[in-house]
Amino acid sequence: ESILSRIRSFEYSQKNAVLVPAAALGVGGMLVYWLRSRHKIKTIEMGDGWWGSGERPLKGKEDESIRPFKIETSDKEIEDLHRRLERARYAPPLEGAAFHYGFNSSYLRKVVAYWRHQFDWRKQVEVLNKYPHFQTTIEGINIHFIHVKPSYIPHGRAVQPLLMVHGWPGSFYEFYKIIPLLTEPARHGLTEGDVVFEVICPSIPGYGFSEAPHQKGFDTIATARIFHKLMNRLGFKEYYLQGGDWGSRITTNMAQMLPQSVKGLHLNLVFISRQGLRRIISVMLGAYVPWLVGLTKEDVRRTYPFIQKNIYELLRETGYLHIQATKPDTAGCGLNDSPVGLAAYILEKFSTWTDKSFLHRDDGGLESKYSLDELLTNVMIYWVTSSIVSSMRFYKENLSQHPGLAADARVGVYVPTGIAAFPQELAHTPRAWAKQIFKNITTYSYMPRGGHFAAFEEPKLLAQDIIHFVRKVEQL
Amino acid sequence: CSSLAGIMLLEVFLVLGTVIIYFLLTKKKEETLHFKDGWWGKGQKPVTEENTTIWPFKVETTEEELSDLFRRLDQARFTEPLENSCFHYGTNSVYLKKVVSYWKNQFNWKKQVEVLNKYPQFKTKIQGIDIHFVHVKPPRLPEGRSAKPLLMVHGWPGSFYEFYKIIPLLTDPASHGLSDEHIFEVICPSIPGYGFSEAPHKKDFNSVSAASVFYELMLRLGFNEFYTQGGDWGWLICTNLAQIAPNHVKGLHLNLASVTNVGFTHLLSILLGRYLPGLFGFQDEDVRRMFPFLQKGLYRILLESGYAHIQATKPDTVGCGLNDSPVGLAAYILEKFSTWTDLEFRDLEDGGLERKFNLDDLLTNIMIYWVSGCIVSSMRFYKENLQNGVGTQKHERIAVQVPTGIASFPNEVMHTPQAWAQKKYTNIVSFNFMPRGGHFAALEEPELLAEDILQFVGKVEKEQLWRKK
Repeated sequence: ESILSRIRSFEYSQKNAVLVPAAALGVGGMLVYWLRSRHKIKTIEMGDGWWGSGERPLKGKEDESIRPFKIETSDKEIEDLHRRLERARYAPPLEGAAFHYGFNSSYLRKVVAYWRHQFDWRKQVEVLNKYPHFQTTIEGINIHFIHVKPSYIPHGRAVQPLLMVHGWPGSFYEFYKIIPLLTEPARHGLTEGDVVFEVICPSIPGYGFSEAPHQKGFDTIATARIFHKLMNRLGFKEYYLQGGDWGSRITTNMAQMLPQSVKGLHLNLVFISRQGLRRIISVMLGAYVPWLVGLTKEDVRRTYPFIQKNIYELLRETGYLHIQATKPDTAGCGLNDSPVGLAAYILEKFSTWTDKSFLHRDDGGLESKYSLDELLTNVMIYWVTSSIVSSMRFYKENLSQHPGLAADARVGVYVPTGIAAFPQELAHTPRAWAKQIFKNITTYSYMPRGGHFAAFEEPKLLAQDIIHFVRKVEQL
Repeated sequence: CSSLAGIMLLEVFLVLGTVIIYFLLTKKKEETLHFKDGWWGKGQKPVTEENTTIWPFKVETTEEELSDLFRRLDQARFTEPLENSCFHYGTNSVYLKKVVSYWKNQFNWKKQVEVLNKYPQFKTKIQGIDIHFVHVKPPRLPEGRSAKPLLMVHGWPGSFYEFYKIIPLLTDPASHGLSDEHIFEVICPSIPGYGFSEAPHKKDFNSVSAASVFYELMLRLGFNEFYTQGGDWGWLICTNLAQIAPNHVKGLHLNLASVTNVGFTHLLSILLGRYLPGLFGFQDEDVRRMFPFLQKGLYRILLESGYAHIQATKPDTVGCGLNDSPVGLAAYILEKFSTWTDLEFRDLEDGGLERKFNLDDLLTNIMIYWVSGCIVSSMRFYKENLQNGVGTQKHERIAVQVPTGIASFPNEVMHTPQAWAQKKYTNIVSFNFMPRGGHFAALEEPELLAEDILQFVGKVEKEQLWRKK
């Protein structure tokens, strides 16, 4: 009471002298904080890295030249492959196993027979070389990429640069069918050519013709940084990104790292690593009152029964992920030495991840969606570059931490985002869940058909969705 | 009025009677695992009776087999390891190259085949497939003594060869400085789908199927009562065998005793066991081996179980390349012999393999997988047993009442305390903490394991415990 009376006893002006500035500071502080937190978008730190052999050279600037590159092969390489195919040792499948135990070796024999006697690697190399390839050194390693410009630019139209990133067990080759639909949409019956792209498809370091990192710790954030440097080196300040599988996480990281450079982010797979109480509640309620937790009917159809689709089926399909995230050098060793083993391992994914019902088929349904030539060309990229082990290490480098603790799990994505949700994708992410990370979803489309390898399997559908998304962004 | 009371009384008696009879019946009925009959051969089961002859078998090799192997070793393609990765990313390829060089230039498969053939081997057809086994009788038996039959079952990625060092300690203990109170004749079969046993052609061949096949084998060999010993899959198969035929299994000895039926008490003991060990029946050594649980339990299992996950879901895919590349096969198998012997070997560039094993033994085991082409079928066993998840099978909920001895080795990947084991193995006669050794106990520490088996059998025989079940 004495304190109060003492305060009251202050002269009016003295009171003001104390209270007003204090109040102003308080309100002002709160205002500043609020304003800053609205405009301050958290980003992932760019950082830096060195992935070459040995110590990073102290002197000298990195060679920034961009060198044209052509894929080559030799008689020796083809002979060696043929010998290994001829001497392959198979174990007969169990009766009635179809693809339930993995790749059926009876069907594998047929694939290998085609590979040995009909597949023409020299011809496929020419196919691969039809787009311009380049290499450039970034952070100590050679980065390979293809860069395809439209041969004809409609008058007055801007060409949008588009970086498309592949995943595992894919490669830059997955984009070969979709590229012409994006560089020359009009010629392929897609829209009036409102939007035209020049497409850059790099190989993730450790995949295909990009050099593998020699140091530990090469994760999607390092990849994101390197790809930003690549686009910068090519002279682009702002660009669009597209990705699925690892490409999805890499391009997402790119948007989290340097949002000012990313005009838009298009994904055909959404990784949500941060689960939480909200998600659990959403899952539990979603089965009964989907509208309450923001799930659509299509979301429900694709997500439930939850335990069956998201736990049981996911467990059944993630053995590869578990072993690659823990013992990549062991898992990849035999595959780098046996082309047949490599084909079985990779093509199993092209079967199951395209359509889960293919598990019941003796031939894994592969040739119903793809040609053996294109499937084997992708396998050959892993074979001739000996990159299977380094491609698997990417899993360990990215999944060793608790998923919720990774830097990118806590940072939102504020760039315009387009999501193409394919029905046969391994796991479905409803828009309501994607919103937790992707704060600016411009388009969200339920695709009518297609699985994990969207660009490879349904290039036209994917191209249409990308164009639809970019048109919306450009009009804004 | 009296008739109503009479009726009511009658009803009460009836109900009581049924309840009493129910309890009597259920008490007498012991929960056993049923023998699992099956037919695993190709195509349709023939109408004719199965041929039950037992014929001798010898491992053989050919020049062609050897030159094919050498060609593959010569043309092996390796991938450089990451700098300073040791064995943390799996088998280090720099060390692997050294192993391959030894394999090409010093390892003598013909000589090793002779080593394999030093013990008598046989085959017999059971449930449609040829079962391979080693059968070693004691070289000398003192007057009036008889040999006790002992079935020893290997696991993955091992084979019957793992027992070659321990067999003489059990069939001829006196010559090896051990007490000869108990002398054994040892039978080491190959699990169907492993080594020289034919692989099942039909789906669903799980541990209970293997136990049933081995049960038939022992009966066919004329043994009515026998001991069983096992680790890795051998642990589960011998456990199932004890559950199927408790009246025939005198004693069950295990060097691995996993508990798969995890319940609320287990979780509670994980949370509080470090602070209140006595409450949960944990000994000091249990606490030392199990805690901190996240690190020594959960993370360790996650880090080391990738192989089990992929083998339990896509065995034909993962085994394909390994059946075609001996180097890949060696990398895959050697990684286990390194890490499961001592987890700290992951920090070594050479995986510490030659500290506990010699390359001849390791490569002989690998060659068994290579020459028999059995890697894929060996992996299918994981799917047949684990595809519905751990802890879901009926046999996992049935107790084991046969006298059990457990040798708990310190470097086993996961430690099972006696407090947990005794919920399943209700008749534990001996539970010993071994001073050293890991997963491949018979190959790494044959004397320690043999001593533990002998003391266990000693206890069982002294008090004729098998009669008291």
